[in-house]
Amino acid sequence: MDVSGLLASTSKGRSTEVNKDVPLVVDTGLLAVFDPNDIEPEEYSADQEAYLLSVARDGVQALVNALFSLPVQKTADGPLAILPSIETPLPRAKPLPKPKPPTKWEQFAKARGIQKTKREKKVWDEEKQDWVDRWGRKGKNKEIEEQWITEVPANAPDDYDPVKEARDKRKSRVAKNEKQRAANQARAMGPSATAASTSTGLKDSNAWDALSKDDKKGMLRRDALRAKVSTASMGKFDKKLEGEPKLRGIKRKFDPNEGNVESEKSAALALLSKLERNPISSTASAKRPRKDAAGGEGSGENVLNVRKAVRYATKGKGATAFASRDRGRGGKAGRGKGKR
Amino acid sequence: MLRAVIPKNARSKRALDARAPKEVEDERTAIFVRGSHTGEVLNGVIKDLMALKRPHAISFSKKNIIHPFETEGVSSLEFWSSKNDATFFVVGTSTKKRPDGLTLVRTFDGKVLDMCEMGVTKFIPMADFKTKKSTPGYKPLMHFASPLFDTHPRLMQLRSLLLTLFNGEAIENIALAGIEHVISVQLGPLPSTSASVPAAPLPGSVDDDPALFPPIFIRTYTLALKSSSTRIPYIDLVPMGPSLDLVLRRHMQPDPVLLAASLKKPKLTKKDVESGLGQKKKMRNKEVDEMGDLRGRVHIGKQDLSKLQGRKVRALKQGLEEVEDVEMDDAENDLMDVDESPKKKRKKD
Repeated sequence: MDVSGLLASTSKGRSTEVNKDVPLVVDTGLLAVFDPNDIEPEEYSADQEAYLLSVARDGVQALVNALFSLPVQKTADGPLAILPSIETPLPRAKPLPKPKPPTKWEQFAKARGIQKTKREKKVWDEEKQDWVDRWGRKGKNKEIEEQWITEVPANAPDDYDPVKEARDKRKSRVAKNEKQRAANQARAMGPSATAASTSTGLKDSNAWDALSKDDKKGMLRRDALRAKVSTASMGKFDKKLEGEPKLRGIKRKFDPNEGNVESEKSAALALLSKLERNPISSTASAKRPRKDAAGGEGSGENVLNVRKAVRYATKGKGATAFASRDRGRGGKAGRGKGKR
Repeated sequence: MLRAVIPKNARSKRALDARAPKEVEDERTAIFVRGSHTGEVLNGVIKDLMALKRPHAISFSKKNIIHPFETEGVSSLEFWSSKNDATFFVVGTSTKKRPDGLTLVRTFDGKVLDMCEMGVTKFIPMADFKTKKSTPGYKPLMHFASPLFDTHPRLMQLRSLLLTLFNGEAIENIALAGIEHVISVQLGPLPSTSASVPAAPLPGSVDDDPALFPPIFIRTYTLALKSSSTRIPYIDLVPMGPSLDLVLRRHMQPDPVLLAASLKKPKLTKKDVESGLGQKKKMRNKEVDEMGDLRGRVHIGKQDLSKLQGRKVRALKQGLEEVEDVEMDDAENDLMDVDESPKKKRKKD
């Protein structure tokens, strides 16, 4: 006796299996099912809507079969099926986020292997015996400013204001941090932000950042002036802006022939002693003010500050002491010589 | 173009951060634009598609003079995209030449990536089906039926666009009780005029002859879960509406460079791989047997048999005589080293 028809008619015992010529492709992560089977023209022409519905039903059944066999995570709101990742490639709406360029401190910390520690917002106050905010309203960093009485040092001037002193100190720390943040941001912006630096001969953007504002201003002004006279007519027929100052050349200035003998003597002696001190690098030392500009120590790649490292290694005695220590007993004599 | 905004307070910073690119993206917001003329059909289509897309849908309910396949149209779409932080458009325009045109536009990085225009030949609105509707905001299932969706570039593009519009968001888990409706996209038989679909689409935004492509049927059904012989429910579908019959019209294929950039995937972190996100990574030393159990193979190092403890026999123990000899030698050495400094001797010991 064939009972399959009878079974199918009752609600129970209906099969959830889906049999197709070509197996369906299910992308559970995307909640999508792709049916690569060709259309069946007879059934389609007989009843279009019924055919579409039956094809959709089979597809959805296959997808639901896959979804219901996924691993389940139990939550307060009922079970959640954990979906796998999407297999069908779909274009993103926005490009992948770019990694944030490291700040100068982060570079240094990485080079030294310093681990980042989370700084708590609260600090323990011994006097109050309570946790107080590190900064902000009634913050620990405003302790001196806000206390009602402050000890004044004995040698303090008459107009000494301890509150102002503490406040200025705090404000200067904030300003320093802000300056460093701006420098980090400018460095992160890349070479485009410091395009001007290339014209002034500073290839390294870090070197440009290291310059003071006045130096930068001067350099840019010099560049602008040079550009102005870089035409065939040396800028004579160029259109002038309103209120543009007239260009004047720099006049050379000489010291008077009969001047102060004492100052002349000291200047000459200073020069001689400078030559004597480091005879090999005397030519290099003449260019000392531009050392930063050459991109030596201040550059981003070399975070080690050589000067500080030497000072640390020699306990503040300098490179010469460092060299003489290796020679052994000669160190003492060498140091004496340097002091003279 | 918008200026690069530098946030001046925390609120605007949060707003900017929300717009910033994310590794795992949220669902795309779609803007539904009415063109210079939309008939009753297109208005209904836009309204019903918006109902399916809600809450990630923005309606431009006024008339806009927009031609998406022209340069000015592209620039306005890009402008709207940047203004509204929306990355998908459904544009409805009806002209004498192309009546009831529905254009799907997808953007990437603020630029239009690709477009596909379709003509609506038949539309039954959602309201005409007196059946249960799905809850707004619930994710639909998607069903595509035709081999052409895997082979023909134009239909592959259409499938990708529809998936992006309704289901592009990557989600980690889903409540099975929250599966309410399905959007089914099927193709009709090929028109009798053409034996086969044109092999490759013509480049650029040109008109392909709509008579060469099979009609597209978009149907939406709600799921009715019935009991079955197994734990998995038997599915019955009930038409929910809207129901759309479409024909393909113009299209714009994506720029290959832009497309490649848009398909870039984020690098998986170690944690993600361990949690099973990196499916492509080969499962090593693990296999599922025919009972469905996961079986692992553990590798242990080579066994050092020389250190194996055998039976302890008194005869095999080291001779006591040898030990005594060694002690004697040490005593002799001590006698000989008398004249040397004690420090040195200790060292030797």
